Amino acid sequence: MARKLRIRVDHNVCVGNAMCETFAPHVFRLNDNRQSEAVDPDGDTVEKIIEAAENCPVSAILVEDVETGEQLFP
Amino acid sequence: MSTTVSDDMFTPDVIADPYSYYSRLREEDPVHWNDTYELWVITRHDDLVWLTRHHELFSSAVFKNDPRPPYPAIEESDLGLYEYVRNYQGDQFIQHDRPDHLEMRKVVHGYFTPKSLEEWRPFVQKAVKELLDAAEEKGRMDVMRDLATPLPVLVIAQMMGVPEPDRPYIRELAEKLLYIGRGEYDRMPILTDGMKGMIDYVSPLVDERIVNPGDDFISVLASGEKAGVFTRHQVLVNTSLLLLAGHETTINLLCNGTLAFISHPDQWAKLKKDPAGATKLATEECLRYDSPVKSIQRIASEDVEMRGKVLKKNDRVRWFISSANRDPAMFKDPDTFDITRWPNQHVAFGSGIHHCLGATLARVEGQEVFKALAERFPGFRIDNEDLEYQPSITFRSLKSLPIHWN
Repeated sequence: MARKLRIRVDHNVCVGNAMCETFAPHVFRLNDNRQSEAVDPDGDTVEKIIEAAENCPVSAILVEDVETGEQLFP
Repeated sequence: MSTTVSDDMFTPDVIADPYSYYSRLREEDPVHWNDTYELWVITRHDDLVWLTRHHELFSSAVFKNDPRPPYPAIEESDLGLYEYVRNYQGDQFIQHDRPDHLEMRKVVHGYFTPKSLEEWRPFVQKAVKELLDAAEEKGRMDVMRDLATPLPVLVIAQMMGVPEPDRPYIRELAEKLLYIGRGEYDRMPILTDGMKGMIDYVSPLVDERIVNPGDDFISVLASGEKAGVFTRHQVLVNTSLLLLAGHETTINLLCNGTLAFISHPDQWAKLKKDPAGATKLATEECLRYDSPVKSIQRIASEDVEMRGKVLKKNDRVRWFISSANRDPAMFKDPDTFDITRWPNQHVAFGSGIHHCLGATLARVEGQEVFKALAERFPGFRIDNEDLEYQPSITFRSLKSLPIHWN
């Protein structure tokens, strides 16, 4: 079974660089302020989501495993 | 609303203290038409963020899309040289809009992520230590010459695999390229000299990395040529862009930040109490308080309304980081240097899809320098209080910062 993820984007930090949208387009979408929101944590593979988080230039994305609580990124 | 603020942004008093000038504009006429230079001046934080995040309304292809001669005016006989400048600048990836910009940025983005750059921190620490060892022996230093300039040049040259003996020459060329943001009427020959020198210098390096790619940054750019994203000219120009951008702005962060600490002994004392713990937020505050880059330009892609004014398609739009970062609507006590400030949503690196590629590198260098200074030195005094800045509206660059300690 696929891992359940909790994804948070810190809006004090997010600059709307939109790289997350490029790497995991079904998970991240820019809101009206052009800041990223995780709209569907199951939209892309875990690998793509981690890649999106790694490519955030300001480390605004936090990824956790819902069940184990393990922090997958950063 | 209108303002009585003069439109000359290059006068000595505005260069010395941009904050008073732009804060008056921000209060009196935040979306201001500067008739002298024929451009919109945007000074509020929320406007700047909105503008930079609506890249579809404001083109970054400034040199390609703006047929007007440069400002301030240049000698008429130099207009041919300006065409060379337009072609050179126009091929930089930062001078592109989507979709091309995304493809170009993807080639280089991975090299500059926070995770990738963390691996460079030990190299930066070692370089800082060596530079400060040398300065400590002398008992005084020019922060500009002895620390802020050599450090980023060392780092970016290492990333690019530029041989060590060539580094002073790179710096010399970079000095000429900086004329892009200056106002001297005879600046074009110097600027194009720098550009041609860069192309000539970088060409054989690129030729070599195309054949024998390594893990250096020129090889990354060369891979973009192989993938069909960059032309050869674009590889050359972007190599030169990153050699320049990779250090010039950081130099300003290190000098302006050091000066801020000298002028605010209470904040210096706070940093000294816990250099390793305080340096991260302190660096952010240095970026906000006296930002390395003062302003950046776009071209309106269509008619856009802002605060009741209509910015016409093809109008020049210049947004002022150094004003937005002092906007009281965003920052409490904006003129106070407070190294514990958080959140600190400064726009020193811009915002949106063009957010500075090298932001993390600048942060790592700033953090390591301010930490090391606080760990090693009791405090500093400036040799001469008459500090001078380069006459640029793009960069906030001191000419020198000579200091001593006890």
